[in-house]
This record gives sequence, structure tokens and C-alpha cells, in this order.
Amino acid sequence: MLEEFTFTLLISVLAINFLISIYGIVYRRSLTKKLISLTILSDTVFVAIILAGLIYTYPIVPPVYSDMQGGEAEFLATHASDPLPQALVLTGIVIGLATNSLIAFGIIQTYRLTGTIDARKAVKTLLEEGAEY
Amino acid sequence: MIITLILLIASLILSIVFVYMAITERDLLKATAFSAGQSICYATILQAMGAADIAMTYVAVSAGLYSAILVFVISKTERFEEVSSE
Amino acid sequence: MKRVIVLVVLVLIAVVSSVITPLVISIEVPRYLKDLSRYYIINTIKDTASPEAVAAIVWDYRGLDTVYETLVLYLAIVGGLTIFMYTGELARKTPVGLTLLSRTATKIITVLISTVSAAIAFHGHLTPGGGFPGGSALAVATMLIIPVFSINTLLEKGVTSTKLVAIRGVSLTGLGLVALLPVIRGLEIVTNQRFYPGYLDGFILSGSISLYNLLEFLAVASGFTAVALYLSIPEEYYKGGDNA
Repeated sequence: MLEEFTFTLLISVLAINFLISIYGIVYRRSLTKKLISLTILSDTVFVAIILAGLIYTYPIVPPVYSDMQGGEAEFLATHASDPLPQALVLTGIVIGLATNSLIAFGIIQTYRLTGTIDARKAVKTLLEEGAEY
Repeated sequence: MIITLILLIASLILSIVFVYMAITERDLLKATAFSAGQSICYATILQAMGAADIAMTYVAVSAGLYSAILVFVISKTERFEEVSSE
Repeated sequence: MKRVIVLVVLVLIAVVSSVITPLVISIEVPRYLKDLSRYYIINTIKDTASPEAVAAIVWDYRGLDTVYETLVLYLAIVGGLTIFMYTGELARKTPVGLTLLSRTATKIITVLISTVSAAIAFHGHLTPGGGFPGGSALAVATMLIIPVFSINTLLEKGVTSTKLVAIRGVSLTGLGLVALLPVIRGLEIVTNQRFYPGYLDGFILSGSISLYNLLEFLAVASGFTAVALYLSIPEEYYKGGDNA
């Protein structure tokens, strides 16, 4: 009973967080706030990918052997968490950090060019200065 | 088993609170702090799911580096989000 | 007040829907691993000589993916640094930092973080961790130094962005070479066990996995430290003020 409850709670909480961060990206006007929402959105998606490999066996352990003999293979095959989504997410987190720091540089450059981080005002200022849209 | 599930439930509920506060907060520095709290919640969720590698990466990247980069960005630009005048 | 009401409503939606849903439709929670993941877990020691299944997938089974993702990492940071290119000299002011108490605490914590990050990275093929988390943890240590001690201290110690970008370029070139070397013996690129030794004199090396972890650690740490250095240069220098 508790297991089914946590499983559906995981899905519903991730869905709600996803929707809140979509709201932040679309309706908030500050570019920094958009960046914060984007990081929350990507974090939510990463947790959702890990959720695809979730198994309910207790105790649940990381997929790591403690020696090189391989004697724990039977135990790990039934009690370890799924390593494949973890491996995909591991690189994704760091790549996301790199691209988000590129966005952070872009926000500062926007502020230098237009004097504001409000998305609509920045576009207006750029258009008045004759930028191609 | 019970402890793992209760930890999972508590951090899930707390994560909604942090995400909502982070997105609706006007003061961007406070929003960054809430965002760091959200990443701690997510790291707890990941650890409860048995993904130790990700939890470790997550604390370093999401609570450490993202917060530092955002604080640098806020210090170079504006601290407060403008009130919409429509 | 309105915010609190909306928040309570959101939490209630999540809790109530997850209480009701299992009562209405029958939900089967997953209890067994998929066959592919089971294969990875059972065969990781035999195939890759690494007892850690995640590191084995990242750098061996799906190694080509990770090598190309490293290329994305390289390009993203290079793009950011290009926008922020600052070629002038920083004025040599006396470093202004925080109080003595916070400086001493930061010194101790920085040494601890650096040690832990090295342990995370160099044991990445044996325990949870690897090059990515280790490098990020080391970058956190530098990001802690900059606000407490000021950027001038770091520059006087010889940590300049030119050197960091050079370290990054060298380690990423090394990563590419490690991936490409098996080709000279007619194997595919990113081959592990058929080219690199799994054990060396009693030490577990896991073939190329430990090499990849070491190089990725250097690349990630120097890349994000360079990002922090560029972000912490005061804005007056870019505006062409009297200091520039």
C-alpha cells in the first residue's frame, strides 16, 4: 500500500514540478528567473529518467561489487538499482551545467547591451537600436 | 524499508514547496537559495532510489556550482525581478 | 498569503491524487530489473574489469556516447569564455577578503574538499563517483576561494585562466587519444579490455576507465574554474574604465 502510494506520489510530484517550472520559463519576465526555472526543469527530467529504472526491493543498493571475485552477482542482480539510466543522467548533469553556464554568460552580455534583464524590455531596446529580429 | 519510503515521501513534498517558492519569489537571491534547497531534496530522493552516483554528482553540481554561477550572475545584473506593470 | 494558498492546493493535489489512484486502478510497482540492466550488472567484472557498473557503462559499454558528450562540454564552455574574453591586465590591488576567521575556516574546508574530490575521481572505477562528480567538487572548492579571498589571491598564486584553458585542452586531447589509440591495432575506437590492461602489478586499473576518469576530472575541474574566474572579474574592467 505504502509502495503504491510513493510510486504515484513520485509521478504526481514530478509532474507538478515540471508544470511549475514550465510556468516559470514562459511567464516570468526576468532572464535569471528563467534560468533558475530551466535548471529546475532539467533536474526534474533527470529524476524522471532515474524513475524509469526504479525497482522496489529492499534493501536497495548501488550497483557496485565490493570485491573482484564477483560472488555477489546473484544478490546485486535482484537488489541493485538500474545502472543504465544512472549512466545516461551522470553525463547529462554535467553537460547541462556547461550549457547553462553558457546561458549565464549570455544573460550578462544581454545586460551589458541593453541595461536590463527583463526579457521583453531587452528585446524592445535591441529593436530600437536597429537589431534585426 | 519504512524509513526509506518515509524519507522519499517527506523530500517529495518538500521539493514541491521549494520549487514553488523558488519560482514565485521576487528576490532572485532568495530564489537561488530555494533552488539549492530543491536540489538537496532531489539528492535525497535519488539516494532513496539507490542511485548513489547521481546523488553525489547532484549535490556538487546543483547545490554548489549552480548556486555559485547564479550568485555571480545576480551580482553582475539586477537583484530584484521587476513587478509586472500590466 | 495568496502564494501559501496556491502552495497548499498544489501539495493537496499531489497527496490526494496519489492516495486515490491506487484505490481506483491497480498499480504494479516494478520489482525486477530489465534484462539489459541485469546483463550489465552480472558481466561488468568479466567485460570491463571494473566492479562499478555505472562507470563501466559510462566509459566502456556506452563509451562513444560519453566521448562525444565531452565534446559538447568543451564547446559550451569555450563559447562562454569567448563572450567573456578579457585580454587586459587586472590591476594588482592588495587582496581584500573576508575576516581572519572565515579565511582560516575556508583554508581547512578547501583542503578537505580537494582531497575528497581527488578520492572521488581516482576511485571512480571502484566506488560510486568518477571524473564528473570529482571535477565538479574541485570546482566548488575554487568557487569557495574566490569570494572569501578575492580573485587577486588566486591570480597571484598562478591560477590564471590561460593556464586553466591550457590544462583543459591538454586533458581533452589526452581523452581523445585514449579513445583513438586502439585503432592502431585494428580495433574499434573506445575499446577497453582488448587493448588496455585491466590489472597492473596487483592494482585494479579497469583498463582505460581510470585513465578516462583522471582526464575527465582535470577537464571538468579546470573548465568550471575558468568559468568562475571569468565570472568574478569585476564589470568595470569590461566597460573600458580607467583600470583597463
